[in-house]
Amino acid sequence: MNFLISGGCKNGKSFYAQRIARDMAQKQNLPLYYLATMIPTDEEDRARIRRHLKEREGWGFDTIEQGLDICGCLGGKTVTGAKVNPKGVFLLDSVTALLSNEMFRADGRIDHDAPQRLAEQLRQFAEITGNTVFVSDYIYSDAFSYESLTEEYKKGLALLDRTLAKACNRVIEVTYGFIKEHK
Amino acid sequence: MILIFGGAYQGKLDFAKETFSIAESDIYMCQENTDLDMSAKVLCNLEQMVLGCVKENIEAKDILTSYKDEIKDKIIIVNDISQGIVPIDPVMRAWREMVGRTMLYLAKEADEVYRVFCGIGEQIK
Repeated sequence: MNFLISGGCKNGKSFYAQRIARDMAQKQNLPLYYLATMIPTDEEDRARIRRHLKEREGWGFDTIEQGLDICGCLGGKTVTGAKVNPKGVFLLDSVTALLSNEMFRADGRIDHDAPQRLAEQLRQFAEITGNTVFVSDYIYSDAFSYESLTEEYKKGLALLDRTLAKACNRVIEVTYGFIKEHK
Repeated sequence: MILIFGGAYQGKLDFAKETFSIAESDIYMCQENTDLDMSAKVLCNLEQMVLGCVKENIEAKDILTSYKDEIKDKIIIVNDISQGIVPIDPVMRAWREMVGRTMLYLAKEADEVYRVFCGIGEQIK
């Protein structure tokens, strides 16, 4: 089953998503993958990655690093060198980071087509794997408009969320650990 | 009256169109002023009208109560701006609060209330 999990920052989304992914893998006896989407650029990022790795210790995740072209990882390998099984269980945390990578390129270029392209890639990813937990962020209730680029990003993320809400079997909002099932 | 709210870009108007079979000609898009077109079936982006009220120093709820009868068969769509960062700009702060007061009033008066999340509408009243 595909899941979309969203909600506010630091509300317990990742923890809940990890549990769903792990339970799904255990029940069906499938490999469990953590899709790490952040592309580290400095020591702060690398420290965050070390912390996240430590937090996931003992959960049984094999990590896949893929910051761009998300479907590309399905023919690749995990950090431990294992071949990725596209029918395994994937935890993709997060859709938000993926859009940043695709939209704000390392060379400083801004890719305005990224939301449309990524929406299609994520739809495909859900269809191919069938067992992915997508984690996104609910950032749509501010009382002011940001400058146009941030607003474009926000609108782009909303397109990804709406696309995934359609493509996923379950849509869940996490509010400070409380679970609301929208679908 | 039917109240539909949700965050930005969540598909509120699409949800309303699909659920209540609305034509484009039924929709009044509120602007940043105190006007409301009561000939329209749907009042969309009501938060924009509230911003107009803030700038004119008028309580939006007072305008809505003056249309108490007309409003009974309307569909009202509001962008929920209540859950983000407190704005630095005092006008935006006042706007955020007035939208909250307006939505409390509308939610109380409404026969049905829906919240739209990632394109999915949920009836909460």
